[in-house]
Amino acid sequence: MEIFGNLAGNVALGFDTALSASNLFYCFIGVLLGTVIGVIPGIGALAAISMLFPITFHLDPTSALIMLAGIWYGSTYGGSTAAILLNIPGTPSTAVTSLDGYPMSRQGRGGVALLMTTIASFIGGSIGILLMMLFAPVIATYALSFGSAEYFALMLLGLVAASTIADGSAIKGLAMVVLGIAFGTVGMDLYTGSQRFTFGMLQLSDGISLVALAMGLFGIAEIIASIRHVHAGHVDRKSVSLRSMKPTRDDMRRSVMPMARGASIGSFFGTLPGTGPSVAAFMAYAMEKRVARDKSRFGKGAIEGIMAPESANNAADQTSFIPTMTLGIPGSPTMALMLGALIIHGITPGPQLMTTQPSLFWGLVMSFWIGNVLLVLLNVPLIGLWVRLLLIPYHLLYPAVLMFICIGVFTVNNNAFDVWLVAFFGALGYLMRLLGFQPAPLLLGFVLGPLMEEHFRRAMLISRGDLMTFIDRPISGTVMAMTGLLLVWSAVGAYRGWQARRGERAAQRMAASARE
Amino acid sequence: MYQRDYRNIAGGALLLLTGILIAWYASATLDFGTVRRMGPGMFPMSIGVILAVFGIALMIPAFFRAGDFEAIEWRAAIAVLAGVGAFALAIRPLGLVPAIILLLVVSSLAERRFRPVSLLVMCVTLPLAAYLIFRVGLGLPLAMARWPF
Repeated sequence: MEIFGNLAGNVALGFDTALSASNLFYCFIGVLLGTVIGVIPGIGALAAISMLFPITFHLDPTSALIMLAGIWYGSTYGGSTAAILLNIPGTPSTAVTSLDGYPMSRQGRGGVALLMTTIASFIGGSIGILLMMLFAPVIATYALSFGSAEYFALMLLGLVAASTIADGSAIKGLAMVVLGIAFGTVGMDLYTGSQRFTFGMLQLSDGISLVALAMGLFGIAEIIASIRHVHAGHVDRKSVSLRSMKPTRDDMRRSVMPMARGASIGSFFGTLPGTGPSVAAFMAYAMEKRVARDKSRFGKGAIEGIMAPESANNAADQTSFIPTMTLGIPGSPTMALMLGALIIHGITPGPQLMTTQPSLFWGLVMSFWIGNVLLVLLNVPLIGLWVRLLLIPYHLLYPAVLMFICIGVFTVNNNAFDVWLVAFFGALGYLMRLLGFQPAPLLLGFVLGPLMEEHFRRAMLISRGDLMTFIDRPISGTVMAMTGLLLVWSAVGAYRGWQARRGERAAQRMAASARE
Repeated sequence: MYQRDYRNIAGGALLLLTGILIAWYASATLDFGTVRRMGPGMFPMSIGVILAVFGIALMIPAFFRAGDFEAIEWRAAIAVLAGVGAFALAIRPLGLVPAIILLLVVSSLAERRFRPVSLLVMCVTLPLAAYLIFRVGLGLPLAMARWPF
């Protein structure tokens, strides 16, 4: 096939780009910062990316993306360290790893767990990259025939999936998506040039800055909530020496199949809009528990319980780039930031990206390999250093983070107004946290909203105002049907949950009256 | 635990209010157009209505169930936000170093315990780090200190 014939040439081009001295350097910086941030509890990958986002504006787009991507998958590697040693997942996608990883380190096998999760991460990530290399060009070829109706339907599916599958209540998730879309409408209307929701403020006519929104919601809100609750931990240094890392033959034998299963689950969930590494890790863990002969070992330090999710979340990290790069539709908030980075650099992601910017696309993909190798090299010998990072007290950490946020957002446009916006979104983010709303769907809605409006209006223009166009066209119709099914499924789930709670309360009342 | 789920009642009410405000503002200031050729106001108007509906959907069941409400970290929230605000006020007229120091001093009030030594150490090291990273490393044209008087 033509696509596979081209692969060799593309791989060569990609390595050429990724191995240039400056890109190699930014890849290294990205994975290093990602690991550091992943290790430190209290700063998520999203806060990290939004914090370092402005720095990348001063690089060329390829280097910028390589560095941001390095931060993203590097934080997944680093997150497992905190999860295993302290039972504090540095990032949500490693929360599952702590279920069996922490018991392992309590048994003095923390070193083994750290080494094995690094291997699992590398193998999972590699399989994800391989799939991206093979399938991204195929998907892009199909996507060339998509019209506005298809794009609108796909984005709607992505948003609904992101808000209903993610944790918490589906109504709250959907409401946050809609609120995000509302923030996205601020600024000049693309078609007519009229000002919307700017309240006469000149600074708002270009719209709300993505960086300010992300930093406020994820950075500032997280700091406010953590100041009195995050404390530095205690780690047994002996359990992480190089000698203690040697796995037994039994560990190796038990790990192979969970890694393979984890990688396939992760790759699949990574490409689905709205799911991403956290869901993939949970699914992989559930799968291992289901196929295991002795289920009672889980939660007490079963090595399968760390291998499968770690392999899955790294595979998902890589494959989640497929819809973002080939369709321009980010499946997760992190990918929304990547998309934002591309747009700010004047590059429109979509099926044309691979043909118009081949060195960017293939350079990025090849940098994933390099980054993953670097991560193995960084993680195994430097474990001792990462452990020391875990011990930095938060009262020294948060002022530094605040400083980076403020300077970072100021330097994007040399504009103090954006710093005020950070404060506004920080307050909003903390309020949302108190009221139990997730910030991630809001960010997705904010990035996708303007694109959706554009495609919706264009589809209406082409179909002469006929809403049936979204259902008549086969691809768009199928996607719309999937969206509908998802909504019905989550409504049924909510109803069942309500009934179950009602049943519980009734039972409690019965028990109470029986006692009397 | 409270008798009613005040967390979701408050959340729903805020959504309802925001939705109504968005829809009202869109209908008051923007042109709707037709379905075939949509004006700038139609999309925001629908967004506002949808938001209000979600607010109601969240609020109603919350009246009939118990819920909890986590304690608000007033001190941390005010100190951190005021610190960011102080930075925004100071960065233009005074320059980077005074803005950072203001940010550090104000946001250090977030904690009950005042740590003069670590605050002093940070007021020296962090502006230096910022200078090295942003001015020397990235070559950004940031004024370190300005005298407005």
